[in-house]
Amino acid sequence: MAYEYEEQEEKFIPMQKGSKAFRRLVKDIFSMKRDSTILVIAVLTTAIAATLYPLALAFAINSVIAGNLANLYFYAAIFFMLYIVQFFSNRERTISSTILAQSVIKSLRERAFENLQYVPVTFFGRVKTGYLISRITNDGETLSEFLTFQLPQVISGIATVIVSISIMFHYDFNLTLYALIVIPVLMGFTISLQSKVRRNYLRTRRAIAAITGNLSENINAIRTIKSFNVEEKMEQRFDGLNTTNFKANMKATLLASFYGSIIRIIEAVGIAIVLIAGAFQLKAGVTSVGILVAFVFYVQEFFEPVVQLSQLYNSYQSSMVGVARIYGIIDFPKQSATENAESSAKFHDRIEFRDVSFSYGEDDALSGINITIRKGEKIGIVGHTGAGKTTLSNLIMKFYSPTDGEILLDGKSLSQVNTGEYRKLIAPVLQEPFMFKGSVYDNVLFSNPGATREQIDALVGRFSLGEIFRNLPEGLRTNIGEMGRNLSEGQRQAISILRAFIRDPEILILDEPTSQIDPYSEKLIIESLSDFLKDKTLVLITHRFSMAALVDKIIVLNEGTVVEEGEFQDLLNSDGVFHHLYTIQYGNSGDS
Amino acid sequence: MVDLSDETKGLGKIFAVFGPLAFGLRYLRERKWVLAIVIVSSVIATLFRLLVPIFIGDAVTSVEKVQFSNVEYYSILIFVVSSVSGGVQFIVNYGSQYISQTYAYNLRKDVFSHLVRKQFGFFEEQTSGDLLSRSTMDIEASRNFILNTASQLIPTLFLIIFAFVFLFTINPYFAGIFTIAVPILIFIGIIFQRKQRTHWRRIRTYYGQMNEQLQENIVGNRVVRGFSAEEQERKKFSGTTGSYYDEYIIVAKLRGKYNNLMPLVVSAAATGILLYGGYTDVISASVVGPLVSAVNIFNLISFPVSFLGRLIVFSENARAGISRIQTVLDPVQDENLESGDQQRLRGNLKFHDVDFKRGDTEILKNISFEVKAGEFVGLTGRTAAGKSTLVNLIPRFYDADSGTITIGATDIRKVSLAMLRRSVAFVPQEINLISGTIKENISFGSSNDGLETIRWAAGIARISDFIESLPNSYETMVGERGITLSGGQRQRVAIARALLTRPEILILDDATSSVDPETELEILREIRKDLSGTTVITVTHRESALRFSDRVFSLNDGVLTEGEFREKEPVASGDFLKGENMEEP
Repeated sequence: MAYEYEEQEEKFIPMQKGSKAFRRLVKDIFSMKRDSTILVIAVLTTAIAATLYPLALAFAINSVIAGNLANLYFYAAIFFMLYIVQFFSNRERTISSTILAQSVIKSLRERAFENLQYVPVTFFGRVKTGYLISRITNDGETLSEFLTFQLPQVISGIATVIVSISIMFHYDFNLTLYALIVIPVLMGFTISLQSKVRRNYLRTRRAIAAITGNLSENINAIRTIKSFNVEEKMEQRFDGLNTTNFKANMKATLLASFYGSIIRIIEAVGIAIVLIAGAFQLKAGVTSVGILVAFVFYVQEFFEPVVQLSQLYNSYQSSMVGVARIYGIIDFPKQSATENAESSAKFHDRIEFRDVSFSYGEDDALSGINITIRKGEKIGIVGHTGAGKTTLSNLIMKFYSPTDGEILLDGKSLSQVNTGEYRKLIAPVLQEPFMFKGSVYDNVLFSNPGATREQIDALVGRFSLGEIFRNLPEGLRTNIGEMGRNLSEGQRQAISILRAFIRDPEILILDEPTSQIDPYSEKLIIESLSDFLKDKTLVLITHRFSMAALVDKIIVLNEGTVVEEGEFQDLLNSDGVFHHLYTIQYGNSGDS
Repeated sequence: MVDLSDETKGLGKIFAVFGPLAFGLRYLRERKWVLAIVIVSSVIATLFRLLVPIFIGDAVTSVEKVQFSNVEYYSILIFVVSSVSGGVQFIVNYGSQYISQTYAYNLRKDVFSHLVRKQFGFFEEQTSGDLLSRSTMDIEASRNFILNTASQLIPTLFLIIFAFVFLFTINPYFAGIFTIAVPILIFIGIIFQRKQRTHWRRIRTYYGQMNEQLQENIVGNRVVRGFSAEEQERKKFSGTTGSYYDEYIIVAKLRGKYNNLMPLVVSAAATGILLYGGYTDVISASVVGPLVSAVNIFNLISFPVSFLGRLIVFSENARAGISRIQTVLDPVQDENLESGDQQRLRGNLKFHDVDFKRGDTEILKNISFEVKAGEFVGLTGRTAAGKSTLVNLIPRFYDADSGTITIGATDIRKVSLAMLRRSVAFVPQEINLISGTIKENISFGSSNDGLETIRWAAGIARISDFIESLPNSYETMVGERGITLSGGQRQRVAIARALLTRPEILILDDATSSVDPETELEILREIRKDLSGTTVITVTHRESALRFSDRVFSLNDGVLTEGEFREKEPVASGDFLKGENMEEP
C-alpha cells in the first residue's frame, strides 16, 4: 500500500541504474571543459601540496634532531608555502566546483522542463504534479551537496591516495605493504553493503516526493478541504507520510552510521600495524625516525580520503538515485516523432475524422466517428455530459491521438503533421480556463506575445467584456493571483476567450466558452462573434443553445457516437436527442 | 519568535549563526535528552580521537628512545582508543540524524497544520508552488544546519578547546601562539557571514519561484500546448534557474575566499609552533616527540576550523529558509477550527445589512434577505457581480466587513467554524477531486458512510449509472492520475460528495455549469425530493434552473433584488435569448 503509487510511477518513468546515471553525469560535467580542467588542476594541486607537507615536516624534524637551524627555517618556510598554495588552489576549487555543480543542476532542470513541454498529454494523467515537481527541484538539489563538496573530494582523495602510496613505496616498500593490508577488508565491506544502501536512499527519495505530492494536492484542494471541514483528516494523512519519511531516513542513517564507525576502526588497525611494523623496521635499522613519523602521517593522510570516500558513498548513492529520477523525465519519449515532419502546416480545405475511436484506457470515449469540418464552416457539438464532446476537441487539438482510425488535415494524416505548426493554426478556449500568475494583460498576451495592450483593449471593447472586468481594482493591469484565484470563474472564461481571439486564428475551438458567463454578456459576445468568425473555422461545444445561432451545422454526440447531424431548425423539428435537450432548457420544467 | 533579522552588534553577530538552532529547539522539546546524549558522545568521541596523536607522539618518542615494547603498548592503545571513538561516533551520527529528522518531522507537521487552517485570503496571496518549496526545501535547509550543528559544532568547538588544553600541557608557549589565531578566525567568520546573507535569501526565493513555475506549467500544460507557448515557457523557467545559478556563484566566490582563509590562519599558527618549538628543541637538545604532537594537533583541527566556515554557510541558508517558513507559521491568518459541542445550525438563513469589500472595491452593499428553512432559492446576476462572494460568506470562507448573517437565531460568527461548515455544504465552481477512488471522493466529508449511502448520494447526483458502468465501479481511481472524467462528471461527483453530509444548507455555486440542462434538472428535482428539509441556494445563469426555484434573487452591482421568475419577465439578467433562438431559421 505505502508505495503503490511510487512504484507505478517508477515503472512508468523508467530509472537508470546508479552507475550508469553516474557515468552519464560525469560526461555532462566534463563537457564543460574549461571549468572541469580548472577543477581538476586545483584539486590536484591541493592534493599534491597536502601530500608534500608531511614531508616538509619530516625534514624539519630531522633538522631539529640534527640541530640544523638553517634547515629547520628552510623546511618550515616550505611547510607554510604549501599551505598558501593550498589556499589559492582551494579557492579555485570551491568556485569551479560550484560552477560545475550548479551548471549541471541548471541544465538538468532545464532539460527536464523542456522535455515536459513535449511529452504526450497523457503523461500528466499518469504522474502526480507534486511528484514531478519534487523530481525536478528536490532531486536536483541532492546533487548540489554531492557535486560541490564531494566530487572534488573524490578526485583529490584518489590523487592523494596515489601520491601517498607512491611516496610510501619510494621510502619503504615493506612498510607500505603493511599499511595496505587493510584495504581489501575495506573494499569487501563496502561492496557487501552497496545494494542495501541504494535501496535505502531510493526509499528516502520516494518519501520526500510523496510528501511534496501530498502537499501539492492539499494546497490545490484547500477549498474543498475547508468546505468539508476535514482538515484534521488531512493532517492525519500527512502525518502518515511524514512518519514514513522519518523512518526511511532513520533507516538509511542506521546503515550509514554503522558503516562510518567500522571504517574508523579499520583505520586504527592500519595505523597500529604501521607503528608496530615500523618499530621492527627501525630496530632492524632499515628506516629512520623521521621516515616513521612521515609514515604515520601518510597512513592518516591516506585514510582520511578513504574514510571520506566511504562517507561520500552514502551521499553518492543518494545523489545517484536523485539524478536517475531526473534523467527519467529527460528521457521520457516525446509525443510521436512529428517534430521531424514537414516544418509548416497549412489548412486549405478540410479536417476529416475517419472512423475515429478513442479510449482513455477503459471503455471507448469515442467510437466510429466520421465527420468533416470544411474550411470556413462553423460546427456545433452538443450532447449530454460525458458524451465525448471535449474528447473530440482534444483530438482535433492533437492532445491525444486516435486509438483507431485517422484524422486527416487536407487529406494528410494528422500524425504526419508538425504538432507545433499545426497548433499555430488553432486557438482553443478550453473548458477549464487555466490562468497564470500575473495581470489580465499578461494572461492574454501569453498566447500572442507580439500583441499590444491597445489591441487587447480593442478586443475587450469589441466583445463588450469591459463590464465583466469592471470590479477589478486596477482594470486589466490587476494581478489575478495564482491560477487566477482572485477572479470569478466568468472572468477567467472571459480572459480565456480573449486569449484565443488575440491570436486571430484560422480555426477556433470553443469548449463551453460561456458556461459561467451571464446571458446578457454572452449575448453581446455572440453578437460580435459572427463578424469575427468570418472566414474562420469554428468548432463550438456547448450546452447553451443561445450560441447555436453561430453555427452552420450541429453534431449531436451520445455515449461516444454521432447520433444526429444537421442544421439547427431541422434537428429541432425532428424528435431526437437535440430536440429533447432543447425543450429542457427552454421549455417549462414540467415539459415532457 | 526567534529574531532572524538581527542587527546585533559586535560579538553578538557571531551568535546569530545559532539563530536557527534556537528555532530548532522548539521542535525538539521532548527529545532534548537525545541532543544531550549526542553532545556528550561527541565530546567523548573527540576526546578519544585527540588521544590518537598523543599516543602517536608517545610511540615515536619510544622509538627514538629505543623502547620497542612501548611501541606495541601504544599501538594497542591507539587501536582501542580509535575503536571506542568509532563506536561512540556511531551514537553521534545516528543521534544527530535522529535529532534533525525529528526536528524536520515536527516542523513539517506544524507547517501543515497551519497551512490547512489558513484563511482563503492567504492562498490568494501565496502560490502553491512557492508554498510547496517553503514546506519542503526551506525545511530541508534548516534541517541540514541542525544536523551539522548537532553532530559537528560541539565536537568542533571542543576539539579546539581540547587542542588548546593539550597544547598547554605540552608547552604553554604553543598554546599562546594558538590564542592569537582565535580572534582572527572569529573576525573572518563574521565578515563571511554578513556578506552571504542577502544572497541566501535570494536563492531560497528563486527556488520557490522555480517550484511555482513548474506547478503552473504542469497544471496548465494544455494551455501551453494549445497556444504553442513551449518556447516562451522554457525561457521563463531558464530565467529563474539562471538567477538561482548566479546567486550560487556569488556565494561560491565568497566561500572560496573566506572559508579557505580559515585553515590558512591555522597553518600559520602551526608554522609558528614548528619554528618556535624546533628552535627551542635545538637549543635545549630535548626530544622531538612533543613538537610532533603539537604540529599534529594543528593538522587535526585544520579541517574542523574550515568546517566552522561551512557551518556559517549552512546557517545563512537555514536562516533564509526559516524566515520563509515563518510566513506559514505566523498564526495571523489562521482559522480557529476547534469544535464546540453545539448542535448543527438549523432554521432560516438571514443576511442583515451585509457589506463586503475587496481592497477598495465594494463587492456587496447592504445585502439583506431571508431564506426559509427548506426553501429552494436561485441566485443569478451578471458575471462578477459578487454572487460567489455572497455565498462564500455563509460557510465563512470570507467574513463580512459589516452586518450579520444568522442561521436560526444564531450569528454564524458565534459558533465554531467546524460546526458551521458541518451544517453548510458548499459545492464550488472549480471542482477538486482528491486522488483516490470515487468512493473515497464521495465520502470525503463523511467517511463513516457505507456503500449504500454513497450510492444513494451518487444516485441523486445522477452519476451512479456512470460509476457502476465502470469496471471497478466505486473503486475506480480518480483525481490526478485517475481516469479522465468530463467536467460535468466531476461536478456531479462533487455534488454527491456534498449531499452525503446531509447538510442543513446546500450551496451550489454554479456547480452544474458543465452538466447538460436535462441532467441538471433531474438532479435538482431529486435533491428537492430526497433532502426536503435542506435549504438549497443555487447560483446559476440557467433559465431552467431558475425556473425550478421557489424564489429567485438577482445580484447586480452589489445590490440584491428579489424577483419571481416568470417566463416573459425575466429577472434582471434572466434569459431573454430564448426568443432570439426561436426566431432563428
